[in-house]
Amino acid sequence: MARRVAVVGAGMTRFVRRAQETGKELAWHASREALASCELTLDAVDAVCLTSAPDAFDGVHMKGEYLSDGAGAFGKPFMRTYVGGGSGVFTAIQAYYTVASGMADVVLAVAEEKMSSTQPHPQGAFLTIFDNVLERPLGPNLLWIFALEMNRYMTIHGIDKRDIAAVAVKNKQNAADHPAALLGQADITVEDVLASETLAWPVQRLDVSPISDGAVALVVASEDAAKRITSDPVWIQGVGWNLDTAYWTNRDLVFPEYVANAARMAYDMAGVTEPRKQIHVAEPYDPFDYKELHHLEGLLLFDKGKAPEAARDGVLDRKGDLPSCPSGGLLGVGNPIAAAGLMKIAELFWQLRGEAGTRQVPGTPERGVAQAWGDLMQVGTVVVMGREGGAPTTATKLETPPISTPATSLSDAEFRSATGAVDDEVGARYAWDAGVAIGGFLDGLRDGKLFGRECRNCERVLVPPRMFCERCFRGTDAWVQVEDTGIVQTFSVCHVSWDMRPLDEPELPAVISIDGSDGGFLHTLGEVAPDDVSIGMAVEAVWKPVGDRTGSILDIAYFRPSGGSGGSGSERASASASPPEEGGD
Amino acid sequence: MREKIAHPDEIRRWEGEFPVRHRYTPGVAGEAFFTALRERGVLLGSRCANCDYTYVPARLFCERCFSELAADTEVGPDGELVSFTILFEGIEGEPLDLPEAIGAVRLDGADAVLIHRVPDLPDEPLEIGQRVEVVIKPESERTGSILDIEGFRVAD
Repeated sequence: MARRVAVVGAGMTRFVRRAQETGKELAWHASREALASCELTLDAVDAVCLTSAPDAFDGVHMKGEYLSDGAGAFGKPFMRTYVGGGSGVFTAIQAYYTVASGMADVVLAVAEEKMSSTQPHPQGAFLTIFDNVLERPLGPNLLWIFALEMNRYMTIHGIDKRDIAAVAVKNKQNAADHPAALLGQADITVEDVLASETLAWPVQRLDVSPISDGAVALVVASEDAAKRITSDPVWIQGVGWNLDTAYWTNRDLVFPEYVANAARMAYDMAGVTEPRKQIHVAEPYDPFDYKELHHLEGLLLFDKGKAPEAARDGVLDRKGDLPSCPSGGLLGVGNPIAAAGLMKIAELFWQLRGEAGTRQVPGTPERGVAQAWGDLMQVGTVVVMGREGGAPTTATKLETPPISTPATSLSDAEFRSATGAVDDEVGARYAWDAGVAIGGFLDGLRDGKLFGRECRNCERVLVPPRMFCERCFRGTDAWVQVEDTGIVQTFSVCHVSWDMRPLDEPELPAVISIDGSDGGFLHTLGEVAPDDVSIGMAVEAVWKPVGDRTGSILDIAYFRPSGGSGGSGSERASASASPPEEGGD
Repeated sequence: MREKIAHPDEIRRWEGEFPVRHRYTPGVAGEAFFTALRERGVLLGSRCANCDYTYVPARLFCERCFSELAADTEVGPDGELVSFTILFEGIEGEPLDLPEAIGAVRLDGADAVLIHRVPDLPDEPLEIGQRVEVVIKPESERTGSILDIEGFRVAD
């Protein structure tokens, strides 16, 4: 039987655009404040759990080790966990099981991110999340994933963009009451969001959370220790995490099944059988406004496609029936990725203790849920927290958070002229082998043919192919040639490059389900005006001339609406086919 | 499994790079350290009275007890060679024309050890425990960088 575990203290730095402090210094500020909030010193800490999102942001390889001193890990059991954007909530889960297992009584959980180090733009650090052989040659940027997902979510459910923009408005307004916030704005309107620059349609500037620097820390304790430390512990009642398929174009882009799976795990553990009645405050992950809605549905708090109406009708407001992101969330407080996730746990701690000051949700909330999402965009991490008896009505004991406000924001000129600053690049280059399955696929492309692999157990044809079925965990059975035609599952009109420079001509990335396969496939559209593209449109591959093909995803120049005339220099694949040679066993 | 690759140039390889760069700012303590180095040619450490330990370069906090620290303690320029290595290959494995020495030095007044080059090797072999001193570049050449320190040399 696992021991009961509580959060007993929390601290955070301001979230700023460019911190003067190093990552270590940010982590120390947050950690020290968390300890001070429950009147502990570092020697009371038995173990340290740390997280930070990709090393590429801080530009420090093995960032966990780099940050360890600022997290108080000197001379203690220490481990950095990492699940991308889901890391911040996950480090609370790590702290939970470290204590629940009996390995430690008092744990410091720390999350840090310093994104301002990345040049020319932190978006560039996301390049490597795309498949290096099949996707990176297309020149993708991170916004593609969000825009493609948002478009399909909106289209399938018939959602009005205004209802999604209402989330950005709510969170930036909520953040106006948060002393650590970067982008609080009390007077923002839906019209402001809809008038902001279009980055990758339907994603506009104000739909997106800001890149930020910051750190957050929690003190997590066993029941005995918690009762010694505070009269007011907030219990971690349930935790859950879950992965969807690693092939993001194969996922259901309308509903985040991985969040639902993680939520069921956490709710089961917490004894929550009716989340819509038993959850009183939510902090879902909101790097983009539609994502909060997506995640509220994944958390089973709304029917599929119904969260946007709740945003429109004020249900999610701080005084609504289900306050969502009362902190201001990533959209308002800021998005130093891992730190932003742990900030959500800290917010539940303050809300359930009745200490959230002007951000306090009304009534006596007894239970809340926090959630984050990340990895290759397929992990859901969920924590359910509760306070017996609910939040005291005589609240507002602290000026939370933070008690002090470290994290000094540098101006652009200060950033450029800081004494001792160093410019550097990783300079590493790579050569990736295509492997057996993708190697066969690329051979096919050179011949103007699309091949998948068939799994006869789950009766799927996998495109892109793999030698094993990740669902059945058995070898796939045979190569299958599929048509070079398909259906547009979703698309975007993207106006910015991988490092956020404006493009002269927009690009049209799309997820295409290839006829005869069960998977989606990332490519771009051509020979079509952006306004004429629609979800459900039938398309066909336009191949490069035979002599120009190299065995690359770019051997397909693009996809165009079916029935279009062959452009100059392009040709259709011949119908006859022989599958690539088996890889041999 | 595929057979061992005999002709790697015939293998389909996808080449790529990671095109991001970084600008590292030195933080609160780092700025104090580099400003003192550039302007005064001195090395600043941070003393934690609680732990009786002096860090160098300066730090904002003590990793042992979490106390806030200041860049308050000038250390060196003399110190003790704690360890050293002699490099015969460069970073890509290329042979060096002249071997280069790297020293780990506990500067007088510090507990932490500073790593830097020993650019001018003496005729006699280096010895652990021997006295060395830090060599700072002339003021006109200093930019606020760890390279404002020329390195260590064996004390006369």
